[in-house]
Amino acid sequence: MRTFVTKLLRFIVVIIAVTFFSFSLIKLVPGDPVNYIIPFGSGAIKAQLRHDLHLDDPFFVQYWHWLRNFFTGDMGRYYGTSFGGGVSVSNQLWKALPFSLVLIFYAQVLALAIAIPLGVVTAYRAGTKFDGASNAIAFGFLALPSYVLAFFLAIWVAVKWGWLPVSAAGKEISPVTDWQYMILPTISLAAAQVAVYMRLLRSDVVATLREDFITTAQAKGIPNRRILFRHALRPSSLTLLTVAGLNVGALIGGAVVVEVIFELPGMGYALFQAIGAKQYVAMQSYIAVIAIVYVVINFVVDILYSVLDPRIRHARAAA
Amino acid sequence: MPEPLPSPAEELATEEAREGLPVDAGTREIAAVVAVPGVTAARRRKKPFGIGAWFALGWLVFVIGIALLAPILPLKDPINWSDPALKLQGPQWGHLLGLDQGGHDMLSLLVWGARPSLVIGFGSIAIGFVVGGTFGLIAGYFRGFIGELLGGLFDIMLAIPAVILALAIVAATSASVTENTGSHITNVTIALAIVSVPILGRITRASALSWSDREFVLAARAQGASHFRILWREILPNVLPAMFSIAVLGIAVAIVAEGALAILGAGVNAASTPSWGNIIVGGQSSLSDAGYIVIEASIAIFLTVLSLNHLGDALRARFDVQEARI
Repeated sequence: MRTFVTKLLRFIVVIIAVTFFSFSLIKLVPGDPVNYIIPFGSGAIKAQLRHDLHLDDPFFVQYWHWLRNFFTGDMGRYYGTSFGGGVSVSNQLWKALPFSLVLIFYAQVLALAIAIPLGVVTAYRAGTKFDGASNAIAFGFLALPSYVLAFFLAIWVAVKWGWLPVSAAGKEISPVTDWQYMILPTISLAAAQVAVYMRLLRSDVVATLREDFITTAQAKGIPNRRILFRHALRPSSLTLLTVAGLNVGALIGGAVVVEVIFELPGMGYALFQAIGAKQYVAMQSYIAVIAIVYVVINFVVDILYSVLDPRIRHARAAA
Repeated sequence: MPEPLPSPAEELATEEAREGLPVDAGTREIAAVVAVPGVTAARRRKKPFGIGAWFALGWLVFVIGIALLAPILPLKDPINWSDPALKLQGPQWGHLLGLDQGGHDMLSLLVWGARPSLVIGFGSIAIGFVVGGTFGLIAGYFRGFIGELLGGLFDIMLAIPAVILALAIVAATSASVTENTGSHITNVTIALAIVSVPILGRITRASALSWSDREFVLAARAQGASHFRILWREILPNVLPAMFSIAVLGIAVAIVAEGALAILGAGVNAASTPSWGNIIVGGQSSLSDAGYIVIEASIAIFLTVLSLNHLGDALRARFDVQEARI
């Protein structure tokens, strides 16, 4: 219980820190941010905006206003008239966030679905040609940036063969029913993760297979398949869980880029457009939300970890 | 089931036999004493630099070489020379790698484009190495409040996904992004350096923590050595291998990130400074009729990243830097 409270406190500190960082980004902008938001506005309009954004107030007062509005769902509006002027940032956010989460979920599921059997089998066949080839391919995929794979898939599968759409530009698509738009982005994102999980699982399972309880299971005459996927896989599940949680950070970064390449209406594309159109108010909120999602996921994984493995609770409690 | 795998001790023995070392309990004991936690494992896994590592090193030397020699190589000017009539024409005599969407020679673009990519990759990690390494050493050696504070700071910086953090810093700091002319190499390098600080800081801290408990550190302290001397002469040399292997992998990540930032519209300015990342972005609009632009730049990034990953892994296996301790 005490560890849970410590974790919760740490979680709150991190949330405050990342929101503070996201907020202070506007302070890094060289010059007066108002000039970027409405470059051609009159002096009075600029003064009004400066007042609306609390830019006249002391820094921490500004932060407090911003934070309170942020958590009550008022994230301001897109400024100006050119790009989405007047649109509420939180409206955009509620459309874009679920899309990105579903995309990351697909990529995670696909990566694990391929990596788990492959990791177990290569561990079982450690040292064979199949193992060597799988490892070499996985190593290659690790060096393949998701955007490179995305472009290659776009060139061949989408443009040359015309099997799948290249981009979803300007379309209101749902990540569930418009699945044909999701296939290439999911594959691009998942490929490198497959390599990460497979290599991790392989080395874990190779170690597990040396344990006595595996020999016992063999001696009892349990079929190999059952030993591999029931007995040998179980101890590795916690490692996989942690790494899958930590990898969400890499997936978020990858998703941003992949969404921009395939022009999917997710957080990444929204952030990209906001930066391109100098919508600093929107940018602050998007970055804060992305960071919070990542922190929350890791917090949940951390808690799950100690629920699933009582040894960790006891070890910490004893220390 | 597979044949029973040899136990670690057996493997160590066979490894030693292969290396021509006398196999006896003595060497094993020495290995165990000299070792930090985990070094016996390193002994077991220690592999000589294989042919792959030489290929990797060769490619890196080649890329760095052509990047340095770009001004004296017999290449067309990547920016000022262009032949609009030949734009989007594939590989041909005189233009071995084809021409891009503006009629510029792809070969010279790729050679010149190596410069910003490598400067950003090596530069950002060099800064991260020094800054992260210094803070990491201090955090690992002086425990208590300072250590906790710095460790917490690293955790907070790692709480924002790396690409997002870099994008945010570049977007906010580069005035030129706001004028849509791309950013300066310095902005991108510093943004990626900031991202790399907590990563290198954390590995250094973890490594310094385990080394500062060792007897020779205690001995140095007993002899009245100053903190600075202990950090510089006793701990740093032992922590460096771990830092180096992570740094090599970090250079690969930074080179990939340069491309990602270019795609996100926050990369270096394509009009004045071609880079591998912005060559890809430039070719993006002509995927169907001139896919080779994106493919060629992608291959350059891929081979460089593959080489750096391979070297990083080889170093890591040699010095037994464990993921779990990072």
